[in-house]
Amino acid sequence: MRRVVGGLLVAAAGIGAWTGCTEQIIAPGDCPDFCPNGQIVLHDTIFTTIIERDSAYRGYVQAYQSDAASAAVVPGVESRPFFKLDPMPPRVRSVPGSATDTSTVPIFADSSRLRVTITSKDTSATNLHLKFYALPLTVDTVSTFADLDPYFSGPALDSVNVSDLRSRPLIGDTATVRIWGDTIQTDSAGHVLIVRSDSAFVIFTSLDTLKAPFNPADSGRLAFGVRVAADSAVSIALGTNESVNSGPVMEWFYHYTPKDSVNAKSDSSLRAPSFDTFAFDPPSAPLDSNLTVGGVPSARSLIRVNIPPFLHDSIDVVRATVVLVPVAPVPGVASDSFRILVRAVLADLGAKSPLALEPSGLAVVHVGSTDTLRIEITDLVRAWTVFDTTAATAFFLGQLPEATSFTEIRFYSSRAPAFRPALHVTYIKRFPFGQP
Amino acid sequence: MMRRADGPTGGWAAFTTLAVVVLSVSPSARLPAQDSQFGIQGLGTPGKQESVRARSAGGAFAPFDAFSPLMDAALADIRRLSAGVTNGTSWRDIPSPDSGEVTLRTTRFPALVLAGPILPRLTVGGGFATYLDRSYGITTTDTLIIRGSPEVVTDQIKNDGGVTDVRVAAGFRLGRRLAVGAGIHLLTGSSRIVATRRFSDSSDYRTSTSRDEVAYEGMGTSFSALLDLGRDLRVAGWYRTDSKLRADLNGRTVAENDLPVSFGGGVLWSPGAQVVMAGSVAWRTWSTAGAGVNAHDTFNWSFGAEIGSVNSPFRVGARGGQLPFGLDGAPTEIGYSAGLGRQFAAGRGRIDIGVERLQRKGTGLTEPVWTLLLGVTVRP
Repeated sequence: MRRVVGGLLVAAAGIGAWTGCTEQIIAPGDCPDFCPNGQIVLHDTIFTTIIERDSAYRGYVQAYQSDAASAAVVPGVESRPFFKLDPMPPRVRSVPGSATDTSTVPIFADSSRLRVTITSKDTSATNLHLKFYALPLTVDTVSTFADLDPYFSGPALDSVNVSDLRSRPLIGDTATVRIWGDTIQTDSAGHVLIVRSDSAFVIFTSLDTLKAPFNPADSGRLAFGVRVAADSAVSIALGTNESVNSGPVMEWFYHYTPKDSVNAKSDSSLRAPSFDTFAFDPPSAPLDSNLTVGGVPSARSLIRVNIPPFLHDSIDVVRATVVLVPVAPVPGVASDSFRILVRAVLADLGAKSPLALEPSGLAVVHVGSTDTLRIEITDLVRAWTVFDTTAATAFFLGQLPEATSFTEIRFYSSRAPAFRPALHVTYIKRFPFGQP
Repeated sequence: MMRRADGPTGGWAAFTTLAVVVLSVSPSARLPAQDSQFGIQGLGTPGKQESVRARSAGGAFAPFDAFSPLMDAALADIRRLSAGVTNGTSWRDIPSPDSGEVTLRTTRFPALVLAGPILPRLTVGGGFATYLDRSYGITTTDTLIIRGSPEVVTDQIKNDGGVTDVRVAAGFRLGRRLAVGAGIHLLTGSSRIVATRRFSDSSDYRTSTSRDEVAYEGMGTSFSALLDLGRDLRVAGWYRTDSKLRADLNGRTVAENDLPVSFGGGVLWSPGAQVVMAGSVAWRTWSTAGAGVNAHDTFNWSFGAEIGSVNSPFRVGARGGQLPFGLDGAPTEIGYSAGLGRQFAAGRGRIDIGVERLQRKGTGLTEPVWTLLLGVTVRP
């Protein structure tokens, strides 16, 4: 009997030690009878007057600073990219590779090949053409659409039917891939199209010396304008030098006769643009009392939020949405869209306020739509109300990417009482701790 | 009644010492006793101020047991420095709309008593016991229409803590037949509360979590007496009054509730050398806590017996009565318990085990509870 009792005692001690390690006290609630009197209460409020002192500013990113250039023909707007190439030395060393002989001999251009990249396509466009025009070397980054328009009135240097190229069979033989680095599509005029891994279209067009003359007096500099055409309204974007690997590039093919030789030697050299930009007509309208986002030079809107004290003190924001009413639909191709980015203001210095690196919200604007835009900024408002109540309660709206297109959107500001921006906040009031 | 302990004593003594140390150090985080869903809307679930020995016998021995922190007069029976600790693990079944039933498990240290004589007739003691347990966790799921769309939300309110009765008491033997006792009770404790709401659409809605800690404070005094009416018969009576229970949040009082006056008594009868029987009753005026917490006065009874030698007795008992908090009247509680004890090291140590089955029943809920009890008593 004593052994039985002793065994039971040890077993009980063991069970007690084992069960003491874990605990399960959470059960489904049978409310309201067997739930705490205090409940989690959710509120959903549209604060229509807490956005104030909102303003728009223009001039953050210029067209020549953007990483794409818009080429478009849409009702009421036409946009044309243009660029000027870097100079090409008209002479080369007479003895290639020599460290002592620095004499030079002239080069003679045979032809050239221009590469452009369509980074943003219009999938609805049919019979899409890219037309290249020669521009005077006097073009610069401030040249306007009107300044350049006469140069686009003549015949194009070359025209590429991109839609036709895309319909051509893929050529992927070993020799082709060795030369081009990828499978290609080509047409009878020798245009070549390569579809890059990021879906961008890389287009090569060969230009003879009549179309792209090499003038030693100009150090081989050339300027080109690009015009887009299709069966209907079309809007695409060409990559620029700022996008690192998508800008236009000219490859010159030339020959020269080395010193003490009777045979000409062939070579080639790549030239990137000294600048690339675009111009459109009509230009972006001046800022008004509305909140403008986008356009060229890019416009941003500063929105200041006067957070009510009770939002600071006793609530937990679970969702916050800024509500913006567009003044008018964004002009452009119906299939086109762009993004609006919210970035928190680190210190409110007006137009030149430093901004947070990480975006706080993002929304897509579809061209032609007049829908009210709602951008989720929950984390930003939570940061204002909970984590740092001394933070500047303001943010900027900006276009993404900036200054790549004429498209811009204008929202009603706080000056328009009926359509002013609002903050839609879903929040939970502080739990009534301490109540039975 | 005391006999010499049998068997080896060194191993048991070491085990006992270790057990007491472990059990005495651990309670700081988990003091309260078993919970009940009936206490969620009230002030909590009152603790059972009983040692394992008493509780294994339905609680009937609590008025006469010095290691049950119910009556101070019983301390007078302690003639050397002694300590006793109680550990209980409960399994509680809760109806669940989804899975039919959910089993909750908690491990608690509901009582500790430390006492010793300072004068030939005066014993001073103290310790802690659960006064109110406020540990629970509730999850609910609902669908709300937010911004015009249905949104499934899951709320979880978790409350971990309770109110502890820290007692300083003395038992004084006025004569061979009569012992009296008195005690001062400091009611203290806290609850860590975490309220969380999660949304099914976690991309648009962030999880909301609020947490805070509520501190509780109150005072109480108790008086009791033990009278031997003969060699085999002993009666007990006790009275206790507690002040208000104040709930403070960040230094600000957020709730104040009156606590009950409690009184009760018991009878202990030893018809033979190997049998002891006892019965006890208790009343508590919990209704003073206020209508807002659905409080009701309670009456509880218990009956139990201890059979066998002092060294290794078998205990059995039953109890019944009411719980103080519930809708549409006080919930009832009926329970049965049994246990074993083992005394060793020449009576310097004792281990008690017990098992208790409780059935609580009230409007809208029947709550069965199994509790495994383990108690250690040492007299170094």
